[in-house]
Amino acid sequence: MKRRELLRAGALAGAVAALRPPVGQVQSQTQNQAQGQELTPAQSGVDASNDLAAPGWKPRFFDEHQNETLIVLSDLIIPATDTPGAKEALANRYIDLVLAAEKPEGQKAFLNSLSYLDGESMRRYKAAFRYLKRQDQDDLLHALAYPKAGSGWTGEAASADVGHTHFELLKQRIAGAYYSSAIGEKELGWDGAFAHGPYKGCDHAEGNHQ
Amino acid sequence: MSGLYMLQDPLAQTYDVIVVGSGATGGWAAKQTAEAGLKVALLEAGRAVSPKEFTEHMPAYKLKYRDHSPEIARTRPVQKQCYACMEYNYEWFVNDLENPYSTPQGKPFTWQRLRILGGRSLVWGRQSYRMSDNDFKAASRDGYGDDWPISYADVAPYYDLVEKYVGITGAAEGNEMLPDGQFLPPMKMSCGEILLRDRVKAKFGRTVTIGRAAVLTQNHNGRLGCHYCGPCERGCSTFSYFSSPFTTVKDAVASGNCTLITNAVVSHVDMDNATNKARGVTYVDRLTRKVKELRGKSVILCAQALESTRILLNSSTREHPNGLGNSSGALGHYLMDHVVGGGAYGKLADMKGKADANEPRRPNGIYVPRFRNTPTSGKHSRFIRGYGFQGGADMDFNFAAEGYGTTFKNAVKEGAYQVSLGGFGESLARWDNYVEIDKDLKDAWGIPALRISMTHGDNEAALMEDAAATAAEMLEATGAKDIHLQTNVEMPGMAIHELGTARMGTDPKKSVVNPFNQTHDVKNVFVMDGATFVSSACQNPTLSMMAITVRACANLIDRFHKNDV
Repeated sequence: MKRRELLRAGALAGAVAALRPPVGQVQSQTQNQAQGQELTPAQSGVDASNDLAAPGWKPRFFDEHQNETLIVLSDLIIPATDTPGAKEALANRYIDLVLAAEKPEGQKAFLNSLSYLDGESMRRYKAAFRYLKRQDQDDLLHALAYPKAGSGWTGEAASADVGHTHFELLKQRIAGAYYSSAIGEKELGWDGAFAHGPYKGCDHAEGNHQ
Repeated sequence: MSGLYMLQDPLAQTYDVIVVGSGATGGWAAKQTAEAGLKVALLEAGRAVSPKEFTEHMPAYKLKYRDHSPEIARTRPVQKQCYACMEYNYEWFVNDLENPYSTPQGKPFTWQRLRILGGRSLVWGRQSYRMSDNDFKAASRDGYGDDWPISYADVAPYYDLVEKYVGITGAAEGNEMLPDGQFLPPMKMSCGEILLRDRVKAKFGRTVTIGRAAVLTQNHNGRLGCHYCGPCERGCSTFSYFSSPFTTVKDAVASGNCTLITNAVVSHVDMDNATNKARGVTYVDRLTRKVKELRGKSVILCAQALESTRILLNSSTREHPNGLGNSSGALGHYLMDHVVGGGAYGKLADMKGKADANEPRRPNGIYVPRFRNTPTSGKHSRFIRGYGFQGGADMDFNFAAEGYGTTFKNAVKEGAYQVSLGGFGESLARWDNYVEIDKDLKDAWGIPALRISMTHGDNEAALMEDAAATAAEMLEATGAKDIHLQTNVEMPGMAIHELGTARMGTDPKKSVVNPFNQTHDVKNVFVMDGATFVSSACQNPTLSMMAITVRACANLIDRFHKNDV
């Protein structure tokens, strides 16, 4: 998946047929034009990269338990190693910002997956995910991340795994938040420059491309 | 431009030429006519554009929503179906709330538009391919539809002229379906692409070439060569990809003969009934909503295929009751857009190397010219015409890696060598794919809006099904693993190659414009954009649109010299 696709994952809506805007909406657009506000914030030079780190940050969308669960989960999905992880990249805050502005379907899907995690945690360990011992959190995530393969021995087919689907949704959001952050760009090794000379392509001898 | 000329009230003059639209074709029409000494007014529905608003060097983390802005979802639900409409630049795209159109139940159509100086040339995909007589004379070869009234030989000199000015990077191949052009040095291929090229040639005899793109690989005509930062659709601080504001429009204005009028939303062409000639156009000032008239001896519509046709349909008079230039009844019909959605992707597991965030980013891919239903391939049993592929192969970060934790984090950086081919298929010209005025729908300026009715047919579906199969077999021959086939037929409009609706022809009973883009019905009204295409071929059309515009302008200039307008 390309980075751009990762960023946009989940952003595409279905086909839109005729749009018949309410008159009021069009009028407010027109006022914006008259005031010359026809640049995106990016085109106006707005740099929002430090917004999420602002002191006194509070979630807009999550309640406290959800937010704390997400922090714990993001730290497990992309931990700090010799480089910072998703917790340090404030992945939870970015996801909160985006979900707060998202349509109800997207919000509901995310909360469903987060609740599923707690549900499984309660079922297996009688406690919500964030309160589990590290080893139990890891065991649970492992079970969700690597769904049971079908058994060639018994002929049992691999089943569509609900838990895995929830896991993937949460993981994709966390990975998207992490790798689109300044910390994430650095993790990928980006040196901060935009031009790195002409594209070099392949310089191997013919027939020796591997 | 002389000071005196600037000071004159633009509305008080009669121009030789009024050009409507400042994109790829409008820029050329203004440049050619103004440089020939004609007095030109170039009208653009949107605002001017400045290099200050380019954002190609801004990392995503500086965006508040990192491309998930709710403002895009609210104001551009249609436009955001295009990858190029982003949180960086969405203001360049039309506000869908202000620019509505309708579609019949069950026939979705996505219409991507920019109203800003340069139009879609600011964000286009830049792929630039010539058509051949296999396209211009396709009907004679397979019996479907109509030939173009012009041939490759008619357009070839204008392809040369346009390519030399624009700067097209590419490699000559001598392929019968894809004539070579005036190329700047080609961009390099990756290892995986060379492997694909060699194996595909050996096994199937098909050509794989580096993409031909309107991106400079060396300094050219006062513009700098590409610096390989990647996201051209956000603007280019070195103007290395072709966009009209910084090339053709700039030249037109510099000639001193072209008055640029921005924020001019043209509603219709004004007719002088006594002479059956156009006397100019009426436009609505986008900001003040004031209605203004501009007088001209000739009108050239380059507003984008569907917008030019919309203007003609909205220009009905008692003498032209069904729209201007529509005595044939063909105006609005034969709408086309390349069919996309068929192809395949996979992984080249044996390739060595690691993903590198600091690798120069090539704004171009590879191209497979059409190999179905060619003079040498014989006829395919299940469909007519064919498709080309765009694609690429490179090492990329593996965000789709499985698992979590350190394993996942390392796997992402390790990368995966991806390879993909996506088909662009010919869209057959059909009468029942059409646009008309929706009598119940107006845009924010009170101008009647379009109802667009289009579906892809069985031939297009068969093309995409075949494209998936042939893409997969080519990837397999390259040694790809984990190959996924895609056999979708995306909704019309997704290729953003709308063509037709004011087709070219010699018979005024069957077509809207003659072989020099002049409407059969009104001598001084011209359509010089994609609307005049008779068939769509499968090549990205902008280069052909520009060449045909320059050809038509040469004819118009000649008419002015002979006093025959």
